[in-house]
Amino acid sequence: MSDYQYILKTENLYKSFGTLEVLRDVNLSVKKGEVICIIGPSGAGKSTYLRSLNQLEKITSGKVFIKDELFLHREHNRTIHRAEPDAQKAMLLEMGMVFQRFNLFPHKTVLENVMIAQVLVRKKSAEAAKKLAIEIIERVGLSDKLDVYPSKLSGGQQQRVAIARALAMEPEIMLFDEPTSALDPELVGEVLNVMKGLAKQGMTMLVVTHEMGFAREVADRVVFMADGMILEENTPKELFDHPTNEKAISFLRSVL
Amino acid sequence: MSKFKKLVDFKNWQKSTKTVAMVILAILVVIFVLSSLNVSEQDMLRNASPEIEQIIEDEKTSSRKSLTITYNDLGVISYISFTTSGASALKESYVGFAGGIYGADEGGWKFAGQMVNYTYRMLGTGENLLHGVKLTLLLTTLSMIIGAIFSVFLALGKISENKVISKLSSAYIFFFRGTPLLIQMFVIYFSVPGIFGFAWRSLFAAGDPEAVYKGAFIAALIAFSLNAAAYCAEIVRAAIQSIDKGQNEAAKALGMGYGQMMRTIIIPQSIRRMIPPLCNEFVMMIKDVSLVFAISLMDITTISKTIMTSEGNYLVFIPALLIYLVITAVFTFIFGKIEKRLSIYE
Amino acid sequence: MMKKIFALALSLMMLLSFAACTAKTEEAPAAAAAASSVDMSAVKLMQDGVLTIGMEIGYPPFEDFAEDGTTPIGYDVDFAKALSEKLGVTVNFVNTAWDGIFQGIGVNYDCVISAVTITEERKESMLFSDAYINNYQAVVVKADYAGKVESFLDLDGLAIAVQKETTSDILMSDYVSTGSITATISANEKITTCFTQLENGEVDAVVVDSTVADGYLASNPDKFVKAFQDESEPEQFGVAMALDNTALQAAINEAIALLTAEGFFEANVAYWFGK
Repeated sequence: MSDYQYILKTENLYKSFGTLEVLRDVNLSVKKGEVICIIGPSGAGKSTYLRSLNQLEKITSGKVFIKDELFLHREHNRTIHRAEPDAQKAMLLEMGMVFQRFNLFPHKTVLENVMIAQVLVRKKSAEAAKKLAIEIIERVGLSDKLDVYPSKLSGGQQQRVAIARALAMEPEIMLFDEPTSALDPELVGEVLNVMKGLAKQGMTMLVVTHEMGFAREVADRVVFMADGMILEENTPKELFDHPTNEKAISFLRSVL
Repeated sequence: MSKFKKLVDFKNWQKSTKTVAMVILAILVVIFVLSSLNVSEQDMLRNASPEIEQIIEDEKTSSRKSLTITYNDLGVISYISFTTSGASALKESYVGFAGGIYGADEGGWKFAGQMVNYTYRMLGTGENLLHGVKLTLLLTTLSMIIGAIFSVFLALGKISENKVISKLSSAYIFFFRGTPLLIQMFVIYFSVPGIFGFAWRSLFAAGDPEAVYKGAFIAALIAFSLNAAAYCAEIVRAAIQSIDKGQNEAAKALGMGYGQMMRTIIIPQSIRRMIPPLCNEFVMMIKDVSLVFAISLMDITTISKTIMTSEGNYLVFIPALLIYLVITAVFTFIFGKIEKRLSIYE
Repeated sequence: MMKKIFALALSLMMLLSFAACTAKTEEAPAAAAAASSVDMSAVKLMQDGVLTIGMEIGYPPFEDFAEDGTTPIGYDVDFAKALSEKLGVTVNFVNTAWDGIFQGIGVNYDCVISAVTITEERKESMLFSDAYINNYQAVVVKADYAGKVESFLDLDGLAIAVQKETTSDILMSDYVSTGSITATISANEKITTCFTQLENGEVDAVVVDSTVADGYLASNPDKFVKAFQDESEPEQFGVAMALDNTALQAAINEAIALLTAEGFFEANVAYWFGK
C-alpha cells in the first residue's frame, strides 16, 4: 500500500471573511481511495472548505497536510509554514477540481480544454497531451465532440468535459464543488454516472453535493457541515438512517 | 482549400454578398473605363492659352518664377492649373475627364477642379509618408499598435497585487489621461530635447532637407503612443476584469501560473471585448492627429485649413469630411471583421 | 497574433525608412552656383551650403503654398531666395507652426523669415537683421464704408476683427481697455477668417498689417478698401537668428544692403502688393 497514512488531512481550519466566520475548527482526514461526500445547508462553509484545500481561498489559520506532509500552516492570517514553491506546485497538482459552473475555457475546443494545462503545466508534448486527452474524453463519453466549442454543449456535457480536464492532470484527489447544482434535472444523471465510474476505479474524491442518493450509494463516509463546523461524520447508512446531531436531523428531514 | 472553394462557389453566396459584389464590380469597371480614357499631362499642358505659353517662354530665362503649374491626377479625373503669384495673379485651369478637357475657371467644372485639387493635396499624393492622409494613417496605426502592446503591461500593472507596480501604473494612466495630448506633445518635442541637449532632427542625416519633419514625426509618434497606451490600458483593464472569475479559478486549479493564465486564458478572451472600445479610441485618434500642425506636420485637417487660409474657400472642407469618413468607415469595417473572427466560439 | 502585429509594425517602419531614403531633395537653383557676393567664411550653417529657413507657410501674401500644395510662394519666399543667392548658398524652407517657431532657431533651422516684427522684447532672446520691409497698422472696411473711418478713434462703436495675438490685436485691446473707444473685438486664428467676417457683415472693420491688407486688396479690388493706415508708428520685419550668430547677422545685413542698392525691394513690393 502507500507509505503514508492520510492522503489529505486538515487540522483546526479556520476561515473568516472580515468578522464573519465561515469555517470553525474543521478537522478531516482522508485516506487514499476514499469517497467522502460533504452535505449540509447552504452557507455551511462546504464550498469554502473545498476551495481552501487547493488555495483558492486563503485560510485564516490551521494546517493542511498532503500525504502526511505539512503543506500549509497559518495562524491569524499569517503564514507560519509553507512548502517550497516546487513542492507546493506538485502538491496542488495532486488535487483536481470540478466547479459548480463548469468554468470551461470558452475560447478553446473540448480537446484544447483538456490539453492545455497538460502542455503548459505538466510540460508534456502536444502529441502526448492529445493522446491522453482523447482517451479521457472517451471515458466521459464525448469522443464525438472533440472539436466543438463549449458553448455548443449542454450543461451536462460541459461538466463532463470539466471532469475530463481535471482528470487529464492525473490528480490523486478529485474535489467536486456541487458539480450538479447548476444542471437541469434531466442532465444530472450523466454527470453522476461519470463520477460513480471514477469512484469505482478507486479515485479519492471529496464531493460537496445535494444529491443524497449519490452520497448514500457511492460515499464511504458522509460529512455533515453546518455553521462552518463538521457536526457529524459517519458511514452513509448510519448518518442517513440514524443521525444524532439535531441540525443534521432537521436538515435530512427537509431534503429527504 | 475549403474556404477557397466556398469563395469560388458564387452560386451559393448569400444574396447581400452578391449585391455587394455586383456593386463593387460595377464600380471597378467604371473606374477602369474612366482611367483608360483619362487625359495625359501632355495633352493638358497643350491646352494652355497663348498668354500662359508666353509666360512659360519668358520665365525660361528669368530668375524669378512667378508661374506655378499644378497637375493633379486622381486616376479617373485630372486637373491642371496655371497660376501666377503676386498682386496681379493670373489663373487658368482645366479638368480632364472621360477623354475630354474642360475649362475649369467657372461653374460646375470649377467646382470639380477644386475638389480634385483639394483631394489630391489632402491625400498627399506625390509626397512622402509625412503628408496628408498618409501621415494620419501612419501615425494612428503605429501609435495604436505600440500603445496597445504597452497598454497590456500597464493594465496588468494596474491590477497587479504588487502595490508599487500598481501605483506606478495608475499614476502613469492618470497623468496621460489627465493632461492634454497637445501639451504632452509640446513637452516631448520642445522640452525634452531642451533638457537633455539633443535635437529631434539630429536623429537623421544632416543633409536631409526633411530631417525636421521626420524628427517631429518621431516626437509625435512617441507622444501619441504614450498617450494611446494610457487610454488603451483602461480599456484592457476593464476587459480583463470583465472576464468571469471562474476562468481565473479554473486556471489556478489546473496549476497554471499567473503569466500562463493571462496569456492563454484571460487575455485571449478579453481581446474580443476590447475591440469595440479600441475602435472608438482609434477613430478618436484619427481626429487627434490634427494636433501635429503645432509641430510642423501637415495632416488632413492642417492641409484643409492651409487651403482655407490661402484661398479663402470653405468648400475645401467637403473633401476633408469625405476623406475622414472613408477612413473611419474602412477601419470600423476592419475592426468589425476582427471582432467577428474572434467571436467564433460564442 | 503578437507575431503578426510585430511584423506589421516592422513593415510599416521599413516603409517609413524607405520613404526617408527616397524623400525628394530641394533642387538647387542654377543661380546659387554663382560665387557668393558676400563674405561667408565666418558663417557656420546647419548644413554646409544651405540656408535652412523656418517659415509659417500660411500667411499670404508673405508666405503661402501655390496651388500644387508644395511650392512656397510669397514676398518672404522671394526675399529669402534673393538673399541666399547673394550669400551663395541654396535655400531650404522648413514649414513650422507659429507657436514655438523661435524655439527652433539653431535647432531646426538657421533663421526665421516669416513676417517677424522686430521688437525690443524679442531682441533679448534673438538677433535681428536690418529691416527688409516696413509695415503699418491699417483699417480695412467694405467699399461702401469708405471715408467714414479716418483714425483708430473712428472705430468707436463698431465691431472689429483682428488676428489673434498680433500687433493689431494688442493695439485694439489697448484702445478698448484704456476707454479710448468702445468696440467689440473678434480675435481669430487666421486673418482670412477676419476678411470672411467682414464680407459677411459680421464685423464692420478689420485691423491688420498694411502689407497684408495691400496684398489682400490687390487680389480683391472691388470688395474692400483700406480706410486708414497709421504711419506714425512703423513696424519693421527682420530676419531672426540665434543670439550668438553674429557672423550670419553680418552676412545677411550685407546681402540686404546689396539688394537695396539693386532695387530688389521696390520690385518685390510692387510685385506682391501692387504699388
